[in-house]
Amino acid sequence: MLSTDLTLGILPLARRALLALMVAGATLTTAATSASASAPAETYVQNNVQTGLSILNNHSASTDQKREQFERFILGLTDMKRIANFTLGQYKRTASPQEQEAFAQAFQSYAIAVYQSYFSKYSGQTLKVTGSQQRAPGDTIVQTVMIDPNDKSGQPPLEVDFRVLGETGKFVVIDFSVSGIWLALEERDQFSSFLGQNNGSIPLLISHLKELARNYKAEH
Amino acid sequence: MAGFCRRDVGTLAAAVLLAGWLGGCATAPPTPEMLAANDPFEPTNRETLKLNGKIDKYFVIPTVAAYFFIVPDGGRRAIHNFLQNVSLPTVFVNDVLQGETKRAGQTFARFTINTTLGLGGFFDPATKKFRIPAHSEDFGQTLAVWGVGEGPYLILPVIGPQPPRDSFGQVVDVFIDPTNYIHFKQHVWWEAGRYYFTLLDLRGQTYATVQGIQRGSVDYYASLRSLYRQLRDNEIRNGRPEPQNLPEF
Repeated sequence: MLSTDLTLGILPLARRALLALMVAGATLTTAATSASASAPAETYVQNNVQTGLSILNNHSASTDQKREQFERFILGLTDMKRIANFTLGQYKRTASPQEQEAFAQAFQSYAIAVYQSYFSKYSGQTLKVTGSQQRAPGDTIVQTVMIDPNDKSGQPPLEVDFRVLGETGKFVVIDFSVSGIWLALEERDQFSSFLGQNNGSIPLLISHLKELARNYKAEH
Repeated sequence: MAGFCRRDVGTLAAAVLLAGWLGGCATAPPTPEMLAANDPFEPTNRETLKLNGKIDKYFVIPTVAAYFFIVPDGGRRAIHNFLQNVSLPTVFVNDVLQGETKRAGQTFARFTINTTLGLGGFFDPATKKFRIPAHSEDFGQTLAVWGVGEGPYLILPVIGPQPPRDSFGQVVDVFIDPTNYIHFKQHVWWEAGRYYFTLLDLRGQTYATVQGIQRGSVDYYASLRSLYRQLRDNEIRNGRPEPQNLPEF
């Protein structure tokens, strides 16, 4: 019975722990997508995201300077209001305009801190666009990999995809995924569940987001 | 085969006990939010997650700390390589069952190279020298490829997130794994050691990431559920993007 118990217990725990909990460590093999649905969107991602990485990799700037520059960069790259509305999910319908506005501000501060935390992990790396797929007109998924010049492991590079809306000159990034996990999607699931557990209290969610943003800023 | 019959009975008993335990706990009817999230056992799952957190804190993490203290980095890497290599026959069978011939070939090549040139799998020349990437497969993924749905979200005691399809897949993988057909006197210790070190290896790798998720979530349970499902879907698709499945913004 020992072997049965171990088989049913420890191996799945370990595997599920890896599956469910790893965000950046998964090294899944992806078939290269040669389709190039939107070259302008690819160029937009290639140029702009690399700029963000360079900001965080600038060793001559102070922490506050980097944070300020990165915030400006993110606000220029993304449509934060749209992302905030998306993450509210079904609760957007019942939220008052004041609550929506307060949430959008709290979310922006939180999201910038989260993005900085994520991007900091790859600040010494180079982004390489590998292709793109059009989901709908003006809605493109740009696929990239992060090339680490110091990596000698032989493992495939980390895959990061960006969802880009709009047309040339008016592009905005609305979500990105690491190894298949879309961040705004995960945030929407989290916020919806939190609100479901707390009688739909958006002020309580705002308070939590502010606290988390403070914690993130303290770490970086 | 006698061993497998006994194991089968044990598996069935565990499943029945578990079903009874879940039935006993989940007395409150699921809310529309729980049903929308395909998580009708959410209250029970949340309690189980708390229990698993305590097991992790008081047993798993101290053990992992001792492992890191006693075994140097190179030794841990060799153990990791060995554990990965010994799981490759199961990966190979699932590659084949899914009709993934190229990936099956990669798995076969990795196993052959690492078992020989990698000295029984303790080294990984397949990745480092031959640039053959590693990938995971299991029977839960195979069932998904065959069109079987995940079922309601479940967190099991000790095990973690394990919806019915993946639970069943896990049991089938036990039967697929050829090492379970090699019986010798100390077999039980080999199995115990294998699973124990797998736990140490993977929990050691995920320690910082788990901490990050716990600290950065407004709802750790929901975050975990979303991450599990998204990662699992990505694995089932073998990383191939499916933009049409993404929601409208």
